[in-house]
Amino acid sequence: MTLAFLAQQTIERIPFDSPTIDWHAFAPEAILLAWTCLVVVVDMVGLERARRFMPGLTGVGFLLATIPVLTLWNDGATRSLFEGAYVVDRYALALKGLFLISGYVVVLLSTQYMADGDYYDSEYYILLASSVLGMTVMASARDLITIFVALELLSIPAYLLAAWRKRDLKSNEAGLKYMLMGIFASAIMLYGMSLLYGVAGDTRLSVIAEKLTSEGTKPLLTLAALFTIIGFAFKVSAVPFHTWAPDTYEGAPTPLTAFLAVASKAAGFVAMVTIITTAFPGQADVVEPFMWVLSALTMSIGNLIAMRQTNIVRMLAYSGVAQAGYIMAPLAVYSQTGQNGVSAASAIVNYLIIYSAMNLGAFAVVIAAARKTRSGEISSFGGMLNYAPGLTTAMTVFLFSLAGIPPMGGWLAKWQVFSVLLQSESTWGTTLALVAAVNTVLAAFYYLNVAKQMWFMPAPDGDTSRVRVPPSLVAALAITVIATLLSGVTGLVPDITDFGSIALGR
Amino acid sequence: MSDFLRQYLLVILFALLAVGVVGAFIGLASLLRPNRPSKGKLENYESGVDPVGSGWSQSQIRYYIFALLFVMFDVEAVFIFPWATRLEEYGYFGLLEMVIFIAILTLGLGYAWRKGVLRWA
Repeated sequence: MTLAFLAQQTIERIPFDSPTIDWHAFAPEAILLAWTCLVVVVDMVGLERARRFMPGLTGVGFLLATIPVLTLWNDGATRSLFEGAYVVDRYALALKGLFLISGYVVVLLSTQYMADGDYYDSEYYILLASSVLGMTVMASARDLITIFVALELLSIPAYLLAAWRKRDLKSNEAGLKYMLMGIFASAIMLYGMSLLYGVAGDTRLSVIAEKLTSEGTKPLLTLAALFTIIGFAFKVSAVPFHTWAPDTYEGAPTPLTAFLAVASKAAGFVAMVTIITTAFPGQADVVEPFMWVLSALTMSIGNLIAMRQTNIVRMLAYSGVAQAGYIMAPLAVYSQTGQNGVSAASAIVNYLIIYSAMNLGAFAVVIAAARKTRSGEISSFGGMLNYAPGLTTAMTVFLFSLAGIPPMGGWLAKWQVFSVLLQSESTWGTTLALVAAVNTVLAAFYYLNVAKQMWFMPAPDGDTSRVRVPPSLVAALAITVIATLLSGVTGLVPDITDFGSIALGR
Repeated sequence: MSDFLRQYLLVILFALLAVGVVGAFIGLASLLRPNRPSKGKLENYESGVDPVGSGWSQSQIRYYIFALLFVMFDVEAVFIFPWATRLEEYGYFGLLEMVIFIAILTLGLGYAWRKGVLRWA
C-alpha cells in the first residue's frame, strides 16, 4: 500500500500543460508519417498488385513532405517546439530538404534494381521512408532523448535493408555487421548521454550548455562528451570506428549502399554538429583536440586504404570514410571561428549537401554500369567511353567533384572547409588544413584512376554493346549532375547562419 | 602536463579502472573458490532442460514472429499503464496522442495479419 500511495502523491504534485503544437513547423514529419502509413495500407490492400506502384507512391511522399520545408524556408522564422527540445530553423530545414531529396533519389535508384531482383519491394520502400522520417526528426532534435529516438528510427530500418538480398551470404554479413556495430555504438552513446544528464540534470542541449559553463570542467564531463561523440563517430564511419563500412557497403543492395553512404552518414553528422555546437560551446578544450585527431586519422587512413581497392563499391566506401574526415574537420576549430561555431556548422552542412549530390550520382553510375557488366571491379569500367559516353561523362563529373577539382561542387565544399580551418588562425587549424591538403592530392589519384579506366582503357571482355539505362536512373543522374555542377559553378548553397539563435539565445 | 591532457588522462585511468575491477573480481574469485571440474559443468545451460542435439539445431521461424508481435504489444502496455493513471490530467491531448500511438501499432498488427503471418499452418 505504502509504495503505491507514495507514488500517487509524487505524481499528483506535477501539473501537466498540454504543449501547443506548431503544426506548420511539424508538417514535413507529419506528412511523411501519414504518407508512410498510407503506403502500408496500400500494400495491405493490394498485396502483389500494389508492388509496381510502390516506388512512385513513396517518391511522391518524399516530394510532398518537401513542400512544407520550402514554405517554412520562405517564412524564415525560427520556431521552437516543446520548450526548445525541437527547433525548426534554417539549419534544420536545409538538412530536412537534403534528406527528403536524397530519399527521393534513392527511390529512383532502387526502382529498377528492386523490380529486377526477387525482393520484397513494398517493405523496402516503407522501411526507406521510415528511415528518412528518423533523419528529418534528427535535423530538428535539440534534446538528448529526441536525438536518441531519431537515431534509432533511422538506424533500425537501415539494419534490415542492408540484409535485403537475403539469399546472398554477403548481404547477410552486411546486415549483421551493421546491426552489431550500430547497437554497440548506441550503447556507448547512451552511456555518454546518461553521464551528461547526470552532470547537467537536463536533457535539453541548450540547458546542458548553460549548466556546463556554470559548473566548470569536470572529469565526468570529459567522459560524457567523448562517449557521446564516439557513438556518432561510428555512424559516420570515422577511423578507428569505420571497420563495418566497407563490408556493409559491399554486401548491401547498391541503391541502399548509396543511401547509407549519403543520408545515414549525413544524419550522423547532423547529430554530431548539433550536440557539439549547442551543448559543448564551452568545452572546446576537450572536444577540439579529439575531433582534430579523429579528423586527421579518418581522412588519412581512409584515403590510403581506398588507393588499394579494386572493387568500385569498396573504393567508394573508403572514399566516403576519407570524405567524412574532411567533413568533420571544421569541428576541430569550432570555438575559434565566427559566431561561436555557426561558420563551422555552415561549412559542414554545405559539404554534406554537395557530398550527397556527387556520391549519389557516382552510385547511380555504378548501378547503371553493373546492369551490363554484372561486376563491381574497377577494371570492368574499361572502354566505357566507347559504348556509354553519357555515363562516362556523368561519372567524370562526379569523380572530379569528389576529388575537389573546380568547377565541380566538391571544390566549393572543400574550399569552405579550408577557409574555416584557416580562419581560426591557430596552429591546430593550420596543421589540419595541411593534412587535408595532402590528402586531397592523394585522393585525386584513385578518383582519377577510375576516370582513366573509363576514358583510355579497352573494354576488358571486348563487349561494347550499349548499356540500357532505365528512365528512373536517368532522372537520378540528371538531378545529381545538375546539383553538382550548379553548386560548383554558381556557389549556390543555403544560408544557415540563423543556426543556434534560439538554442543559445544568441 | 597541460589541462586538457590531464582530462584525457582521466579517460585512460577510467578505462584502466574498469579493466582492473573486472580482473580483480575474477582473479579473487579464482583464488577463493574450490575447483572441482566435472563433466556436467561443461554442458550447455538451457534453462534447466538437458540440451538435446547440436548447437546448430533449427527452430520454427513462426516462434520468432510471435515473439516480435508479443514484444510490440508488451511495449504498448508499458506505455499505456502509466498513461492511464494520469489520463484526467492529460485531457484530450493525451487521449489523441495515445490514439495515434495505438493506431500505428494496429497498422502493424493488421499488416502482419494480412501478410498471413498469424496463420500457423
